[in-house]
Amino acid sequence: MLTLILKRILMALPVLFLVATLSFCLIRVVPGGPFDADKNLPDEIVANLKAKYNLDKPLPEQYVLYMQRLGRGDLGVSYKYVSRTVNDILLDAFPVSLVLGGLALALAVLVGVPLGAVAALGRGRWQDTLAMFLSTFGISVPGFVIGALFIYIFGIQLRILPVGLWESPWHMILPAITLAFSPAAYLARLTRASALEIVQKDWVRTAQAKGLSGSATVLKHIMRNSLVPVITVLGPLTAILITGSFVVEYIYAIPGMGRFFITAVMNRDYDLILGTTLIFAVLLIMANTFVDIAYQILDPRMRISD
Amino acid sequence: MASQGSFKYVAGRLAKIPQAVLALTLIGLICLVAIASALQLPLSPYAYDQTSTLYLAGPSAQHWMGTDELGRDLCARVIYGAQLSIAIGLTTAGVAFVIGTVYGAIAGYCGGKIDTLMMRGVDLAYSLPDLLVMILIGVLIGRGTFGILLALGLVSWMGTARLTRAQFLQLKNEEFVEAARAQGQDHLSIIWKHLFPNALGPIIVALTFTVPSAILSESTLSFIGLGLSPPACSWGTLASDGWRSLRAHPHLIFFPSLFIFATVLSFNFLGDGLRDALDPRTRLSKLK
Amino acid sequence: MLTGCGQGRARYTPDTLRVNIGNEPPGLDWHTATDSTSFDVVSNIMVGLTQYTPDVKCKPSCAKSWDISPDGRTYTFHLRDDVKWSDGKPVTAYDFEYAWTRLLSPETAASYAFFLYDVENAKEWNAGKLRDAARLGIKAVDAQTFKVTLKKPAAYFIYLTAFCASFPMRRDVVQKYGNRWTEAGNMVTNGPFTLQKWQHEYKIELAANPNFFEGAPGVKLIRMFMVPEQSTAFALYENDELDFIDNRSFATPDVERYRESPEYKNFPLLRESYLAFNVKKKPFDNVLVRRAFAMAIDKNVFPKILRRGERPADSFIPPALAGSAKDSGMPFDPDLAKRVLAQAGYKTGAEVPAIDLLYPNREDVRLIVEATQDQLKRNLGVRVNLVNQEWKVYLATVRKDAPPLFRNSWGADFPDPETFMNLFTSYNGNNDTKWSSPAYDALIETAETERDPVKRADMYRRADRIMCREACAIVPAFLATQNIMVKPWVKGIAMNPLDLQFFKTVTVK
Repeated sequence: MLTLILKRILMALPVLFLVATLSFCLIRVVPGGPFDADKNLPDEIVANLKAKYNLDKPLPEQYVLYMQRLGRGDLGVSYKYVSRTVNDILLDAFPVSLVLGGLALALAVLVGVPLGAVAALGRGRWQDTLAMFLSTFGISVPGFVIGALFIYIFGIQLRILPVGLWESPWHMILPAITLAFSPAAYLARLTRASALEIVQKDWVRTAQAKGLSGSATVLKHIMRNSLVPVITVLGPLTAILITGSFVVEYIYAIPGMGRFFITAVMNRDYDLILGTTLIFAVLLIMANTFVDIAYQILDPRMRISD
Repeated sequence: MASQGSFKYVAGRLAKIPQAVLALTLIGLICLVAIASALQLPLSPYAYDQTSTLYLAGPSAQHWMGTDELGRDLCARVIYGAQLSIAIGLTTAGVAFVIGTVYGAIAGYCGGKIDTLMMRGVDLAYSLPDLLVMILIGVLIGRGTFGILLALGLVSWMGTARLTRAQFLQLKNEEFVEAARAQGQDHLSIIWKHLFPNALGPIIVALTFTVPSAILSESTLSFIGLGLSPPACSWGTLASDGWRSLRAHPHLIFFPSLFIFATVLSFNFLGDGLRDALDPRTRLSKLK
Repeated sequence: MLTGCGQGRARYTPDTLRVNIGNEPPGLDWHTATDSTSFDVVSNIMVGLTQYTPDVKCKPSCAKSWDISPDGRTYTFHLRDDVKWSDGKPVTAYDFEYAWTRLLSPETAASYAFFLYDVENAKEWNAGKLRDAARLGIKAVDAQTFKVTLKKPAAYFIYLTAFCASFPMRRDVVQKYGNRWTEAGNMVTNGPFTLQKWQHEYKIELAANPNFFEGAPGVKLIRMFMVPEQSTAFALYENDELDFIDNRSFATPDVERYRESPEYKNFPLLRESYLAFNVKKKPFDNVLVRRAFAMAIDKNVFPKILRRGERPADSFIPPALAGSAKDSGMPFDPDLAKRVLAQAGYKTGAEVPAIDLLYPNREDVRLIVEATQDQLKRNLGVRVNLVNQEWKVYLATVRKDAPPLFRNSWGADFPDPETFMNLFTSYNGNNDTKWSSPAYDALIETAETERDPVKRADMYRRADRIMCREACAIVPAFLATQNIMVKPWVKGIAMNPLDLQFFKTVTVK
């Protein structure tokens, strides 16, 4: 077990290294530097600014400096937020995104999985159709449209929920639901598909034939084995949550990392872009590693012989 | 096995699934509209970029879907948008198909170290969130059809690659492949003539799901401001432009979103249907 | 801020003002700040030598009076003795001397250093060529007297002392805290409010300063939220979660719905949008083509599309400033436009090769350039391609190698025509049109030092005509407006055409 975890972590490191390098190259190649402000700056000032941020050194040297800094855990300095380091900024933003993402993930699992199971159990009947319609709706509409609908219904017409900002637990409700909508639908479809597969397998029918029928037992078997494929997709699910958070955080004015990333790209704030990209990459890699490990625990038949 | 995957067989099974048939019909209709629009057939009395002084009017007899901030007829723009959105969806699927299958085929067929290395590459591609890559590319190449297609294609190929590789890994040890090898056929023709056609089924299903995903991603890109340049208008551009007017002029977001929804829904149903049709274990009588 | 389940939810808190500043201020150090968001905050926590009245004249602030030498090159400011910093220490001339020197120091790398380039030897100091501070035209004669020497007289100089970049600063605070001196708790200010809390990317809280020399302000607390999405911000206002909003929180459709509301007000701004030609690129190297294009654009369309009370512009100088005239630009005359185009050698518009029109990525700008594209096609028959770029990329492109046609906008730094006309002199690095005219340059240089206001206005007017009509280097499009909504329980909001927002006169009861 421990070896597996360590191995996965070791495999993740070169990936991270490549991600950092790729992002560095991409950002530097993009036209438009960080100091193209509203009024044109006289040359002396631009030169001063560039020297201050090491932008006047040749690219390979900048790269080496950057990698060294990364090794120390220093993610650099923001050009736009002049008195703050990237570490500071992300330390503030990360917990917010974590809470939002965590809530959304919990909602998605708590709603999506049972919905899919219900659909599978009642396949062909109205539960199936309704559940499948809802879930297909969920993955067929862009996130910002869903957000708009929720704001309109709950915030403006009914006036029971706040439509933006992050001041109290009440403020978390609408954003979390908006973010959870697509993943919940996706999970519902997935759970239904894998549950159906299990149900049609021989050993379930054997169990039923042996008299172990009755929804409880079948359900238990189905749930346990359906969870395996569902856990497999926790990786891509995390990815969906991360990208969904860009839009949700923007719409609801939530101070999370997604919002920072978009603003940083618009501002060509190099280090902030790289810092956020790396954090996201780390998150995804962690999610995938976790999935590998959980996979092993849940289904002994699938132990990877490494 | 070969006969079970044949086109007639699959089509026959597909025809038994009502949602899939409906979906296919709808997609067909939309594609017709898209093609007609591309051929510049006069589907609407207005041009998509024709401005007037009737700003922000609601739906009426004269303008079925109302007008936008510059007085352009929304219906004409939605029709034009069909062309763009469908093209974006299908092209992305095409790019994903080409890159993904070639990549996955090589990995699956070679196996061993090459396979491990290539799958690490896929892992690398997976560890960057989609939208992040798309934004970076959008900013790098600039707005415009090529940039968007490249961005969308680059985030869509991994699923196809994994699927192709899994299929190849499984299929290459089948008897008919051994037989072909015994006959002295070389690698390329084995891949092309034997492995590929049999792997095709699940790949097509996966691609059917790539199309709606691309359409949705494109609309999110537009929302962030990295979509197509005006006056070009895909449904995604129209929907995200209309977002700001939700309260005052809901028709601006309603109609494009409706079309996105219908198209994406149809492709999803079609994909579901195809998957069920292709899977020999699914008993169709149970599918209602 | 209370939220409950709908009923009995308080709509506002007395003595608290909630506004939306749209974005996180990149920094509150007024030497390194370059944008209006930062200035909006700084304008409420700091005061300088002078301050703006609501009709943008200069009146005394920290300086109770000032003398100008007969040759117009030396300004001597006499400071009040009752202005205090938030930690109790008095504001002295040494604080101004330190601040101005720091603004111009190369180590600060201040983007707004050019603002004080009129001061003697300022440019050389900023370039690092001069190291002897005694030769810089800035001197604190004693604690109450601040003397500034300019390299040549400048009629607009006094306005610069009301602007954030020239505010005083505390050497000891900056040296103690370094980069973090602007964080709440470290910062020391002298204005009507103090920085109480700064939750990054989310909100800033300003608390009233009871010891402010003009008396304590009307509200006790200001909450400045940072909501970038206009629709969200407007929904917050409608939901009673914001008390005052401006353009940053106004999507165009919302203006429509609230135009008749008593809560809505509309003010013209000293900001103008215009279309610019790169006169070195075909076909705009021919002045006849430029004139034809200018006459083919009906500017009255722009206010109809933007619907925020914008006014079509006839001159590059806004009507509120001296030197503005109604006929400085080209009139709208599509027939004449076609004839002039023919004179230039193009019998029909279709003969003109397709032109790229560059614009930055913003909702309202997009509407304007789409309308322009349509106008040019309809009235002149020319094809225009819209090219859109990210803000930064757009700025870089325009600066390095401007395309033949591009949209631009300029907002006044101070209320004087100089800030507008200066833009198109041949020596101004911001002149992206590459147009130059010795006659124009001469007029501007003379106007800068001309003391007689009537003569000065006339010089600017003549220069404007040269630029917009004879040479037609740009096509003025429209004047921007500020649109605000104020809740009925908020009184005393004072707006001004420079778009600076001062809240010291506001009360919430």
